[in-house]
Amino acid sequence: MAKFVTIGERIHCISPAIRAAFDNKQPEAILKRAKEQLDAGATYLDVNIGPAENNGPELMKWAVELIQGNFDNVPLALDTANKAAIEAGISVYNRSKGKPIVNSADAGDRMSNIDLAAANDAIVIALCSNGPIAADNDERMMHCQNMLEHGMELGMEATDLWFDPLFVVVKGMQDKQMEVLEAIKMFSDMGLNSTGGLSNNSNGMPKNIRPIMDSAMVAMAMMQGLTSAIVNPCDQRLMETIKSCDVLKGNTLYADSYLDL
Amino acid sequence: MPFNRKAHKFSASIGTVEIGTGDKAIKLGGENVMPFYTFDGSMGDGPKVGVEITDLGLDAEPQGVKDYYAGCTSFADIAKKAEAMPGGDFVVLRLAGGDPNGANKSTEELVAIAKEVSDAISCPLVVEGSKNVEKDAELLPKVAQALEGKNVLLMSAKEENYKAIGAAAALAYNQKVGAESAVDINLAKQLNVVMTQLGVSAQSIVMNTGSAAAGYGFDYTISTFDRVRAAALGQDDKMLQMPIITPVASETWSVKESTAEESDAPEFWGPVEERGIAMEVETAVACLVSASDAVILKHPKSVATISEFIKSLM
Amino acid sequence: MALSGIQIFKLTPKKNCKECGCPTCMAFSMKVAQGAKQLSDCPYMSEDALAQLAEATAPPMKTIKVGAGDSEHSLGGETVLYRHEKTFVNKTLYATNLCSCMDDAEIDARLERLPQVDYERIGERMYTEFLNVNYKEGTDAAKYVEIAKKAAAVRPVILSVKDEAVAKAALDAVKDTKPVLNGADASNYEAFCKLAADAGVVLGVSGKDLDELYDTTAALEKLGNKNLILDVTMDTAKATFEAAVQVRRAALKDGDRTFGYPSIVNVNRLTDDKTMQEALVATFTMKYGSIVIVDEMDYAMALPLYGLRQNLFTDPQKPMKVAPGIYPMNGADENSVCLTTVDFALTYFLVSGELERSGVPCNLVISDAGGLSVLTAWAAGKLSATSVATFFQENVESKIKNRTLIIPGKVAVLKGDIEAKLPGWKVIVAPLEAVQLVKFLKDLKANGEI
Repeated sequence: MAKFVTIGERIHCISPAIRAAFDNKQPEAILKRAKEQLDAGATYLDVNIGPAENNGPELMKWAVELIQGNFDNVPLALDTANKAAIEAGISVYNRSKGKPIVNSADAGDRMSNIDLAAANDAIVIALCSNGPIAADNDERMMHCQNMLEHGMELGMEATDLWFDPLFVVVKGMQDKQMEVLEAIKMFSDMGLNSTGGLSNNSNGMPKNIRPIMDSAMVAMAMMQGLTSAIVNPCDQRLMETIKSCDVLKGNTLYADSYLDL
Repeated sequence: MPFNRKAHKFSASIGTVEIGTGDKAIKLGGENVMPFYTFDGSMGDGPKVGVEITDLGLDAEPQGVKDYYAGCTSFADIAKKAEAMPGGDFVVLRLAGGDPNGANKSTEELVAIAKEVSDAISCPLVVEGSKNVEKDAELLPKVAQALEGKNVLLMSAKEENYKAIGAAAALAYNQKVGAESAVDINLAKQLNVVMTQLGVSAQSIVMNTGSAAAGYGFDYTISTFDRVRAAALGQDDKMLQMPIITPVASETWSVKESTAEESDAPEFWGPVEERGIAMEVETAVACLVSASDAVILKHPKSVATISEFIKSLM
Repeated sequence: MALSGIQIFKLTPKKNCKECGCPTCMAFSMKVAQGAKQLSDCPYMSEDALAQLAEATAPPMKTIKVGAGDSEHSLGGETVLYRHEKTFVNKTLYATNLCSCMDDAEIDARLERLPQVDYERIGERMYTEFLNVNYKEGTDAAKYVEIAKKAAAVRPVILSVKDEAVAKAALDAVKDTKPVLNGADASNYEAFCKLAADAGVVLGVSGKDLDELYDTTAALEKLGNKNLILDVTMDTAKATFEAAVQVRRAALKDGDRTFGYPSIVNVNRLTDDKTMQEALVATFTMKYGSIVIVDEMDYAMALPLYGLRQNLFTDPQKPMKVAPGIYPMNGADENSVCLTTVDFALTYFLVSGELERSGVPCNLVISDAGGLSVLTAWAAGKLSATSVATFFQENVESKIKNRTLIIPGKVAVLKGDIEAKLPGWKVIVAPLEAVQLVKFLKDLKANGEI
């Protein structure tokens, strides 16, 4: 089985430093965060440039070339609502370390991002929703099936659609947590890949608690068959948990120094 | 409808480690497929064959080995003859006499022999220690120092002495180092991790993941090989992508199949030498088709056969 | 082989009719994959899809039986490519070669030597299981039949013959011994298919390359014959190696059932050199030969080969054990010293090898320690003062007069306890490692302690 894929989430326009870097094409803040995340063990880096309605294509090209050029063609997830920007990013993307990820499609308005991924031989994150959070797993799996069929019709490998069950916040939706975990098991039973913004579960919790809650969630989710997550790789407890789970699942071979690798 | 060949390609490959200098330098590793699966991809330069000699001379060797070296009066003579053995790619000097429980030769004496052997040949040299971890921690750094510039492979650094041997061999004197773990895959990986952390580059490390004569716990040897390669190629585990060298002769020529004289052996066993060669050849083949990038042999017939065998599958 | 949900889903009608009781076809596929639903619960599954699924869930490699009565052997039936994944099922078997081109004296000499290699190793009988009877074009057909008869009287045979008339004559003579008729190829497969079917024997198929082998096998399956063995021997060792690997891998990894049969490798056709044959027979034991034909099996070839095969085909979860008992070394008798260790095969081999090298007559006493190594057995309570004392009182004291016992260095702690429980015995502690035994025993001998 393949190693768990971590997608570093810290190059995000919601951060003022990153937003300023994108606005002014200043590499420093972006490179700093890229390096931090890679040093901490991220596999992929997510690049969220925001809506970028005016200069999306140009900005995404700049960001892809900047990050890949400085970090040995690290694989990237291209994260924006601007489809043209994603296509532009892929046009300059180097695949030697992994296919680009389109972040993201859903079973509603954003279904066409699956077409975009299929046309560009990319991976696509497929949110099991058509807008609102699915009411139950029957609905989640209905969305999953629709997106899967759509992708396969377009000639995609089923494993290039990474299904996101949408993690939900414990403070408010505690009773839905097991349902999300069960959905992951269903993806896994189907032989499908999965991912998601894992830390949604701990939103609103005290800062010192979030790594604990996220680590517990990732361990349970990996047990259920989660193959990837969008995470903050600088969260050491979380990354150590992921590495330990990879050992327990046989995804990596144990050595006493496994946490250093 | 013809057979639909599905190539099983890996995106990872085994690293390359070069030993020796000049025209006769060789590269171990470099393949990106299971052994001899040339239909899937590249085998690099292919597996290599080492010719083993020891500091103990020839007295205890099988007749065919004695015959081959007949007339040699010095270690330099023996080394030259080993280099000339048809099918051999490199020479291996095993300093068995260093064992404190055996001949207990001094480090100075053994270093002098290593120097004599190294000066006599132009092909790559591998120097094996005494297998005693304390002695090797003292001996192998001195050998590394004496042979500086020859790019030799020193075997072996183990869990107990990798700091002394790894630091001296690879860091101080720029030699290559063998990391030995006896059929323990987690330790095999760990040794590579800690040696790398010491500053030894991956291109300077060769692994000896364990060895045995066929029939003598060789099941563990096979599974260790299989699992190392599954992790190295299938999971792109960088800390297991070092090439593998396997000492075969020292294992196979000590078991009873290879040592019992015909007169003492069960009925129909036949000449001892033929049994010894078969044990060496069949064990070597089992290692090569599982993972080994190099095997260490000693009988001229085995060396010629295994070399021919490798060519025939490449 | 279990199918994943996605493989099943691809074959469903994808109409989400809910008639199966599931909300979606995807949910249904998942339940089928888990075994919670049957395919027949879907009213809209097409015939074609059902056939595909039945094919996909059949075992990836058939088990083929050759030989009759006590000499019947099973071949194939493997599910994995590497022994650590799961235990291999049917070990590689070997054949010595006979040929119509050999004179009678040579045939008789080979048949006379055949039973010489027949011994036991850790509870397993080691011998040459088959004889290959090769027909050389242009030689006397009647002689071939005679050789086949002689051979079939002592071993199951492989009739390697491509001439239809000769094949028929040989089959008429020996078909009751259930030989393999190894002769079908692209040019004759229809006739040979009938010959094999009429005689009720396994048919061996060959081809000049993998494509031809594949096509001929597919054609034979189409004729209804699925009782096959694939002779993957090609012109060169390299091509044969590729064929052996590709055939096995296609069946087990790529789900290609056409290649889901056991294989024959005839290394005798690849080289005349005896040592190279030893190299190749080991190769095709490791890499997927079900039967390997050599010129002639002798002890030199057999000793490492059967050891290798035994190691390769053991259950990786279960340690190999030697039978408890007294093993005399170097001509030991009832007056010789006793040593004891555990029944873990690797320990036994290491210790017995060193004892033999010491040349000192001694009795190695093995008691049941659950197949564990010395320290593990001790920790698990399977090697204790009580277990040793009991075994010696019940099995050793009546047979051995010497009263000195050497115990493994790793369980030195047992010395006092054993002495207390075994009155009259003197207990000596051995060194920690087996390699130190030679010197240790020689020293004891020299000092007159044993």
